[in-house]
Amino acid sequence: MQGSPRPYANPYLAGFGLGLVLLAAFVLMGRGLGASAAFSALAAVIVEWISPGHAAANPFFSRYLGPGGGLEEWLVWEVAGVFVGGLVSGLLGNRVRPAVERGPRVGVPVRLVLAFLGGLFMGVGAKIAGGCTSGQALTGGALLNVGSWVTMICIFGGAYALAWLLRKEWT
Amino acid sequence: MQHVEISTTRANPLVDPVLQVWGWEIPVYLFLGGLVAGLLALSGFYLLRSRTASERGAWPQAPMLGVVLLTLGMGALFLDLDHPWYVWRVYLTFEPASPMSWGSWILILVYPALFAAALLHPPERVPFGAGLLAVIRRGSEWMWARPRLVQAIALSNLVGGIALGLYTGILLGTMVARPLWNSAILGPLFLFSGLSSAAALMHVLTLVRTHGLVDSTYADLLLHGLFQLLKPPGRDPSTAGEAMVRADAAFLSVEGALIALFVIGLAASTEVQQQALQLLLTGAYAPVFWCLILGTGILVPLVLQSLELAGRIRHTVVPALLVIAGAFLLRWVLVQAGQVSSWT
Amino acid sequence: MNAPFYKFDVFGDTAALGVAFAIGLGMGWFLERAGFGSATKLAKQFYFRDLAVLKVMFTAIVTAMVGLFLAAQLGWVDLSLMYLQPTVLWANVVGGLLLGVGFIIGGLCPGTSVVSVATGRIDAFLFVMGVLASQFLVGEAWPLFAGISEAGEMGQITLPGLLGVPYGLVVLAVVLMAAGAFVAAEWAEVRFGGVDRAAQPLLGAGWRARNAPRVLLASLAGLALLGMAGGDPYRGPRVVIDERELALLIQKEADHVTVDDLATWIVEGRMEVRLIDLRHPAAYAAGTIPGAENVPLADLPAAEIEPGERVVLFSQGQTHAAQAWMLLRARGMRNTYSLLGGMDEWNDRILFPELPAEPPPDQAAEVERRRALALRFGGSPRVEAAAGAPVAVPLPAAMSPPAGVAPPAAPIPTAAPVKKKKKREGC
Repeated sequence: MQGSPRPYANPYLAGFGLGLVLLAAFVLMGRGLGASAAFSALAAVIVEWISPGHAAANPFFSRYLGPGGGLEEWLVWEVAGVFVGGLVSGLLGNRVRPAVERGPRVGVPVRLVLAFLGGLFMGVGAKIAGGCTSGQALTGGALLNVGSWVTMICIFGGAYALAWLLRKEWT
Repeated sequence: MQHVEISTTRANPLVDPVLQVWGWEIPVYLFLGGLVAGLLALSGFYLLRSRTASERGAWPQAPMLGVVLLTLGMGALFLDLDHPWYVWRVYLTFEPASPMSWGSWILILVYPALFAAALLHPPERVPFGAGLLAVIRRGSEWMWARPRLVQAIALSNLVGGIALGLYTGILLGTMVARPLWNSAILGPLFLFSGLSSAAALMHVLTLVRTHGLVDSTYADLLLHGLFQLLKPPGRDPSTAGEAMVRADAAFLSVEGALIALFVIGLAASTEVQQQALQLLLTGAYAPVFWCLILGTGILVPLVLQSLELAGRIRHTVVPALLVIAGAFLLRWVLVQAGQVSSWT
Repeated sequence: MNAPFYKFDVFGDTAALGVAFAIGLGMGWFLERAGFGSATKLAKQFYFRDLAVLKVMFTAIVTAMVGLFLAAQLGWVDLSLMYLQPTVLWANVVGGLLLGVGFIIGGLCPGTSVVSVATGRIDAFLFVMGVLASQFLVGEAWPLFAGISEAGEMGQITLPGLLGVPYGLVVLAVVLMAAGAFVAAEWAEVRFGGVDRAAQPLLGAGWRARNAPRVLLASLAGLALLGMAGGDPYRGPRVVIDERELALLIQKEADHVTVDDLATWIVEGRMEVRLIDLRHPAAYAAGTIPGAENVPLADLPAAEIEPGERVVLFSQGQTHAAQAWMLLRARGMRNTYSLLGGMDEWNDRILFPELPAEPPPDQAAEVERRRALALRFGGSPRVEAAAGAPVAVPLPAAMSPPAGVAPPAAPIPTAAPVKKKKKREGC
């Protein structure tokens, strides 16, 4: 049928598929999935573009530049693939539509500001924790990495702790 | 007076070992040139085939858009020149053996053709007041009253578009010192890439103009004529949008085949060409070539478009945008990798 | 099979980017299929109405964990080569809490926000802009964050290592814990989310009923149990070799380099290989090839050689180097070569070559080159009399061929072995 979005997949089966992708990353590359470092690399490229000297002098940005960095960063390509994969899957499921996702009790401007704020928190958190939900929780979780399990527990802990305060945003 | 002479053939310190003198300007110029070539060829073809007034008025903005895009492209080329203020000298002479000279003259001839086609579709409003609009309307009516003239304009658009499209590829092919560009396929390849990106651009703009994501509400008739010619008689595409998508898919398939020919041609050539080819297939440009040009630039749009045509998913702008991005990256990679490739 | 393939140099950096793209395609596909392109769906996780986040994430973790465990037990994957993000306790705690706060405020995480943008969500675009902006912030104020991001460093440790229990036991425990969490999640969805109990695959159907999630979880638990029988998944000293592959390589003479090549590389400063002298330390001290390091054969299994590193092995003759080559190949080191003829050949051909005293004109340049080469490495050519019998040039005892050669007086320029660039592998 044309037009209406198709229902989402069974979460267990989608998780199984995601697990196989993660396993493929382990076997092929010896590393897992990730996302946040792609943003770091992108930011470094932008800074270098504006001011090469500043980027080279900065210990954070310079880590993401040079050979194998910048736009040659592995995770930049992986995230590009995530974008295309999500896009194709969304198109085939008729789920691509311009929209602002928000709870019933919150307006569009507030939701957009909160989304930006959430991104800020996550970006900072990911750099301190050494990875985000994909790089730490998912990948490290499967590798039984101690720090990843700590991070994962803290992610859920932090989110559940604030959930009640933010109930107006989502419910 | 100091002379700087750059040999485009070879054996010059400015040419070998690595000549990276072309930055973003030339790929942008080649991309916009190809896009305009596609717009020209398609609107010219449509004008030749159209019978009714509604068909004629289906996509009036194409020639005007072509003028704007071509000017932007020329601007990029202008920025790339070392002596931009001597550009006029090119037009004091015509060198039959020089592709640069050919190109300059093609560009000069394309502008009037574009303007004439734009005049055939007078805009609803103009920025400089009603008086000007009346003049334009009168000129347009005068032209429509002369079918021969309209046909001539249509033909000049069609021929000019094909020439411009071929030229953008041949321009690279003449640089003998760059083995990656030593292929006669580049001309047709850039032409068909231009055609597919032009079809995609029109697709996007009609979708935006009609605000419609439902297939029947957006109507792009530019390619209607083409498919009346190509399809077996009696079978009409159910919507204009379908014709549009079909055309894009056809152009994309041809483009894919031409890329294959380009690769095979270089692979069957001398070792230098084979090495140059490795830059694309396994070297530094391989990820962009395989993932972004062949993958998301051709294969993914083809699959999505065929699913759209089969009625499995809704029509969206996504395949068209992917096609346009792929077309730009094709030029970018060929220009950059071509400059890295050399005979040494 | 020697995996991870990238670390064993089956493909290079450029191909790795294509692999990254393909893996990303799969990741994006399944995240979108699961509904993670929607912030409202993700946020329901924290109000116990729709726990898809927990289900998807833990199914993925359990699947990949058990798969990797089994592959390691079968000897297909070298578990020690998996990149482990070092544990930095306080950084993990603080960063994790911040991530959680960002998750509930923004409703997305960096990975899912990309999928959400791809499917047209405008809030996700703002989220992505927020993440990007935070990177500028972190970059400019890095000294502020550097301290906390290093607080509580514990190195690369795994849960089995920390707890001192077998790897397989932890794997099994995580599978069982996940199954328990899934049942609890389904119960919560029925209680708070208004989901029909009968529609829940684990909770709703009868105890004996079979469905895909149940079969999946049961098989994963079974496979984990099976894997436990194999003991420690990390690679021990036992290896599996592919006879046909090695035999073919040897026959194709792709297993060795010649002393001439090696000498040329050294002289031209193109030593992009690691040169390993397998002889006893005493022989090594008496004289070796410039740039070589000493790893006696018995120490080779413990030597730190990265998979994919280019290594040239040599011994006095040919045999030990060839045998060491076999050992390294069996460990999956693909870019390993032995030096044909070893130290003896080096002495005969490079240091003390037999050169005609009056070479025919067409060979004069070559003879001169060999003479210069010998002098360069601190040897001396033996001159052949015109009649043909070699005339021994008197040599200091220390420099006589069998005893090896003292290091040359003049330092010979050698480029440091080019190590494969270290890639950042974290998130």
